[in-house]
Amino acid sequence: MSNYASPVRDPLITGNKTYSDITEDIIGPVEKAPGLLFVLALMTSATVAGIGVCAILWTIWKGIGVWGENKTIGWAWDITNFVWWVGIGHAGTLISAILLLFRQKWRTGVNRSAEAMTIFAVVCAGIFPLIHMGRIWDAMFIFPYWPNTRGPLWPNFNSPLLWDVFAISTYLTVSLLFWYTGLVPDMATIRDRAKGFRRRIYSALSFGWQGTARQWQRFESISLVLAGISTPLVLSVHSVVSFDFATSVIPGWHTTIFPPYFVAGAIFSGFAMVLTLMLVARKIMHLEDYITLNHIESMNKVILMTGSIVGVAYLTELFMAWYSGSVYEQGAFYYRALGPYWWSYAAMMTCNVISPQIFWFKKMRRSIAVTFIMSIFINIGMWFERFVIIGTSLATDYIPSSWLYYQPTWVEIFIFFGTLGIFMTLFLIFCKFAPVVAVAEVKSILKTSGNQYLEKQREIDRATQPYYEGRSVSGGGAGSIAGAHKMKDKEN
Amino acid sequence: MSNKKYWKGFDELQNDSEFKKSKKEEFAEELPITTALKREETVPSGRRDFLKVLGYSLTAATVAASCEIPVRKAIPYVVKPEEILPGIANYYASSFVNGNDYCSVLVKTREGRPIKIEGNKLSKITKGGTSARAQASVVSLYDNARLKFPKAGGKRITWPDFDNAVSRELGAVNKDIVILTDSIISPSTKKAIQAFKNRYSRTRVVTYDAVSKSGMLYANEKSFGERAIPSYSFDKADVIVSVDCDFLGSWVSPIEFAVDYAKTRKVDIDNTRMSQHFQFEPRVSITGANADYRRSIKPSEVGAVMVALYGQIVGGGGSANLKPAVAETVKKAALALNSAKGKSILVCGSNDPDAQMLCNAINSHLGNYGNTIDFSKAYTGFQGDDVKMQELVTQMNNNQIGAILINNVNPAYSYPQADSFIKGLQNVSLSISFSDREDETSEFVKYLAPDNHYLESWNDVEFKKGQLSLVQPTIAPLFDTRQMPETLLALSGNNFAFGSFIEDNWKGRLGGVDAWNKALHDGVFEASTGGFDESPMGSGNTFTGSAASAVTSLTNKAKVGGVELCLYENNTIGDGKYANNAFLQETPDPIAKICWDNYAIVSPKTADKNGWTDGSLMRSPTKGSDIISVTANGKTVELPITIQPGLQEDVIAVAVGYGRTKPGNENCTVGKNVYPLLAASGSALDFNISNVTVQRAGGGYKMAQTQTHHTIDDEREIINETTLDAYKAKPNSGNYTGQKYSDEHWVDHHFVSLYPGHDESLNQGHHWGMSVDLNTCIGCAACVVACSVENNVPIVGQLQVHRAKEMHWMRIDRYYSSHPETDPDFEHPEIAFQPMMCQHCDNAPCENVCPVNASNHSSEGLNQMAYNRCIGTRYCANNCPYKVRRFNWFDYTGTDSFYGNSILSNDEFSMADNLSRMVLNPDVTVRSRGVMEKCTFCVQNLQTAKLEAKKAGRPMKDGEAKTACQTGCPTNAIEFGDLNDSESAIYKKFRDPRAYDLLADIHVLSSVKYLTMIRNKDEIEGKTEIKEYKPKHHGDHGGGHGDGHGGHDGHGGDSHGADHGKKGGGHGKKGHDNHGADHGKDDGHGH
Repeated sequence: MSNYASPVRDPLITGNKTYSDITEDIIGPVEKAPGLLFVLALMTSATVAGIGVCAILWTIWKGIGVWGENKTIGWAWDITNFVWWVGIGHAGTLISAILLLFRQKWRTGVNRSAEAMTIFAVVCAGIFPLIHMGRIWDAMFIFPYWPNTRGPLWPNFNSPLLWDVFAISTYLTVSLLFWYTGLVPDMATIRDRAKGFRRRIYSALSFGWQGTARQWQRFESISLVLAGISTPLVLSVHSVVSFDFATSVIPGWHTTIFPPYFVAGAIFSGFAMVLTLMLVARKIMHLEDYITLNHIESMNKVILMTGSIVGVAYLTELFMAWYSGSVYEQGAFYYRALGPYWWSYAAMMTCNVISPQIFWFKKMRRSIAVTFIMSIFINIGMWFERFVIIGTSLATDYIPSSWLYYQPTWVEIFIFFGTLGIFMTLFLIFCKFAPVVAVAEVKSILKTSGNQYLEKQREIDRATQPYYEGRSVSGGGAGSIAGAHKMKDKEN
Repeated sequence: MSNKKYWKGFDELQNDSEFKKSKKEEFAEELPITTALKREETVPSGRRDFLKVLGYSLTAATVAASCEIPVRKAIPYVVKPEEILPGIANYYASSFVNGNDYCSVLVKTREGRPIKIEGNKLSKITKGGTSARAQASVVSLYDNARLKFPKAGGKRITWPDFDNAVSRELGAVNKDIVILTDSIISPSTKKAIQAFKNRYSRTRVVTYDAVSKSGMLYANEKSFGERAIPSYSFDKADVIVSVDCDFLGSWVSPIEFAVDYAKTRKVDIDNTRMSQHFQFEPRVSITGANADYRRSIKPSEVGAVMVALYGQIVGGGGSANLKPAVAETVKKAALALNSAKGKSILVCGSNDPDAQMLCNAINSHLGNYGNTIDFSKAYTGFQGDDVKMQELVTQMNNNQIGAILINNVNPAYSYPQADSFIKGLQNVSLSISFSDREDETSEFVKYLAPDNHYLESWNDVEFKKGQLSLVQPTIAPLFDTRQMPETLLALSGNNFAFGSFIEDNWKGRLGGVDAWNKALHDGVFEASTGGFDESPMGSGNTFTGSAASAVTSLTNKAKVGGVELCLYENNTIGDGKYANNAFLQETPDPIAKICWDNYAIVSPKTADKNGWTDGSLMRSPTKGSDIISVTANGKTVELPITIQPGLQEDVIAVAVGYGRTKPGNENCTVGKNVYPLLAASGSALDFNISNVTVQRAGGGYKMAQTQTHHTIDDEREIINETTLDAYKAKPNSGNYTGQKYSDEHWVDHHFVSLYPGHDESLNQGHHWGMSVDLNTCIGCAACVVACSVENNVPIVGQLQVHRAKEMHWMRIDRYYSSHPETDPDFEHPEIAFQPMMCQHCDNAPCENVCPVNASNHSSEGLNQMAYNRCIGTRYCANNCPYKVRRFNWFDYTGTDSFYGNSILSNDEFSMADNLSRMVLNPDVTVRSRGVMEKCTFCVQNLQTAKLEAKKAGRPMKDGEAKTACQTGCPTNAIEFGDLNDSESAIYKKFRDPRAYDLLADIHVLSSVKYLTMIRNKDEIEGKTEIKEYKPKHHGDHGGGHGDGHGGHDGHGGDSHGADHGKKGGGHGKKGHDNHGADHGKDDGHGH
């Protein structure tokens, strides 16, 4: 079977890599002693995480009263953070599942860290529904366990909060399996190169992987099966999360548009977070050859798409509020945009709808600086979106006598930044102990998307198909690809 | 088929076991890594090992997590007192009396502990009504700040030692002995004072009321020869005009007036009589909020309004320079008064004798004396004399006083020249205080002889001449305290127990033991002559004064300028006596909705002019209030401001009673003392002060406010209101919601249920419902306190209220409405109160979102909370459209399993100590931290009533089950009962054309209906735009339906009604009988 190299496909792996190079490049950092920068980063994020954990313990010890929530606004930063973190995780699932099914080869460069991010984001997200409970020590009441020690009563299967429990735990389980399944061959690679105690550890972690054909065959099958399971999850998890609001009676929550709107928003914020992390990791771990500008551009396109979907959703909501003729709906959206929380609405609109529009320009899509700034913007904007939906809808609902303002206390702020610390700590530990790029998967596309192979292929094509000559002039030409990209990378 | 075999090598051909084995492996030889691993014995752990580890850790975690919290045990009686049945409440009739506050009450006791106050329906004065103060009074019994024993010079002393020492010292006094007391309305106490006087002949009594009615007494003396306040019968009045008089909140006898007033405001189809109420006042009182016509005036214009009224009604008089809007309403009021001669009441709350003189003259001219106003049943209290008090302070400073006995007054706090009082007090060699706590005054006193709480006391009370009531102890004194009159008797050499002293006094006069026991059982009785005073009761209903000089002097007084200050007493903290009652502190002011504080109330215009802000939700939610300094009579007080419509420009209103430095609990040292701003000169203290200087002194003050204020720009049908004429023409006028949903076909089409037949179970058995008459709710907050005491609702403290974490199950929402064209400065807004509690929706949004089924529906239509199941997600509270669910943010009552979690940073007010926990109602679960709670419709009372009926083997009668808010309400604005009982009052209320569901649009099917508010005023035409609150006008839509349906409200049509009729057939309707069964213990004694 000859490899047909599409003239418009740029190589996904640059730098004339061989299989051995790939192993060295990606496994190398795992084997080396941690650098100063890494230690500093880990210490910082662990400290932040520690403070967050203290704030969480303080909340549990003293009561939810240490938060700024009040009689009218019963959910604010807690559930905002929860939804935000769940949303962040979505990119990982999308990349590993849907892009796998669609045979998108570019996913191999980023899927490992995106999947890791999913796990860590869901871990962070899972903290909030737990600690926002007034009585966390009774949290098991929410599980329909058997034998049921609570008499004939079961959890309330009508409650979207219960659906959440199932959705999030399914999501975490499947994501974990998917991520770890992918890790097994790479763990084995590390094991093979390791000695002594490390070897024992990685040997346990690699589950006896030997790289036999049968193992590869099973590996491929399970990846496909998990992708099949995960694909509906990409859509369902955030839909279920949105039911927390959509099934309620509160104006601003009670909206049928929520499921698709939440899913789009989740992918939007997830890709932004992947970019934030990848741009840093790429630089620090010298992975420019594996995470190329093409990857970044692809992700920026997804961001532009989902950002626009979200923008349309915002406008639809406003239109529906007006069109509904309901004073409460109209009031909710009027006060959302122009009431006491106008600034959070403005932040949301600016960060999520207006600023991503610059990605219509290719130059912007391929600019690392712009992408990084935009990814931060989107992270902020999506946080505000959740806050706008959750906090401000509650602030001005039906009975004006109860309208209130909410301000977070230091405890809530510490907990939120604490989860960022937990996330970063986990991610850094992951980077140090596991290959941050899926070695096996990247190797699988080397022959089709590595620049030297593409070059060779195109030389053959050029020799056998003379009409191909002209194409090289228009930019996608094979001969200059490697060089051109090296130059671009230098520019950035 | 051939036998030929193809083979590649000999191994395969021979097919030996070695080959078979290697064939299974993918690679011919062992992989180096496998060999290496085998050598290192790091064979991957198997599936079974994994499961073992998993199982072990799960078991370990389960064992570790299943630690029980310690169990606290209750100890049963060794010898059970005869009258106490554990679990069954005993009721004793008694009287709440504290200075001039009076309420005839039934005290509910459980296992010998008083835990709740109910109104006594047998009383001819309070008629079963209560107030916030009366409801909260039980909390003061269990106040940790109470003095626990007598003290001499700061050291503990025994009562016999006290008696000996004080008697010796009193005997040696050769100067005047003064009993400085609040108004004494107890005949027996007066008798005890007389006994004291007999022993120590140089004794005299000086009566001091911090907020005195001295000016009124002076005017009445001049007008009628009676130094007393006559009784007012608001129930007989068709026209009520009140000038700066808060008779529903804090003036003279608010409970009595509220009960009577409500009788003239209760309107239904059969009885459309409704009084017309005009109010002219400088600040917004709850009385003004209920008025049909309310006009704000400047404090200095009180006299001018009186002069104008006098001119319009009696004729003659000076010129009154009033704003057109006010003058027009004065004219209208005068016209109304004139048309209701003998059936009207004019009251004036000013302490200015001239204004009171005019008031008397006008009432007299209208022929109201003897009809609606009567001196023959005058109030015996309010004897405070500002002039005598000033004399006393001078004498004390001049060393003319040898001994002073201070009873239930706190001049070191409340007297305007407190410094001079304290200096004088230090000159007095023998000083005794009967105060129940170490307050500002008793700090400077030699002997402390703490008085009992009224629930530990015997007493008799004559609040009104001839109307007596008794006080009996419901618990033995908690501490080593003694009643003040008993101490006086002991000091005068009579070693009577005060209880037997009273019994001896009355037994003979009442005609024997039986009559005495009946009086004690009922709590109230009547006497032909007042008290032990054998002189005939006053009959001075003939006006003999002269109004001419008053007119002149008032006309002159009105010409003052500058910023004016209006000091007032609010209906919770009063003159400062109740500052240590956390339940009253946390009860928000009915208008400002602020608690735990006093503040300078200013109008929006005043605030705009001076650039002040109070942090409105929409404009600057986090800014907090500005602080201003108010200077009057040479004293300056700094106060936070709150902006409130309904005041004139340059008028500042401040409540007295705050700023106590030694109230007991340090959490209660809130607000600022504004008594020093009063000028203590002249014949009477004037609470309206002119020429005040104000200046901004700071900002960012955090106010504990339960309702933020902001403008609503849309048309929410929250308050439905109409005018009396419109109501007469069309009973459902103004009931926009009711009209909209009165079309059954429309409702059936639009409110489609996914569970047809789901609600039908609620048509069987009981289905509890409540109605609130917006027309008779006066906003007094008695219900709020009653609910809190009944249901163990935690008090959270000032800071937590500021953080909007208050726990009240019941709140009273306040809305303003006004017409921007005629009233651009919001000087005369109309005010509506809306009591709000859990609506017990039959389609409750809180129920389906609870993940653990903690919020669920009972078969009797109650939306109930299973506290044990609640894990505290707060989802239900978020999804509650009425926002009535309350979350236990902290461990307020010491029920938590986290012992000692209040050690660090105790922001919240805690009632976790053993003494304050004694007030908890044992029938109501005390909720732990982290669970949601809310109004239960007092399900404990429903259960008790159901059990009573079951024991008697009969169906429950209407009115047997009552909620705390219902019994606490003095105006019967709240009706409660079984909606499935077609004979019940609530059944009829639900079908009243005025009834509407709040937020009917979202179809939650609430079990609470509100009855449209009716104002007895002219229809106001063409004023459609109302800025603060604007009801939607559905006249065009609702008209047809409304007329067509007549007697039915939007909910139940004919078929519905018939349905219920069948079920209720067996129930005989009977009057409310709350009494007999309740305190049926004839002996009625406490222990």
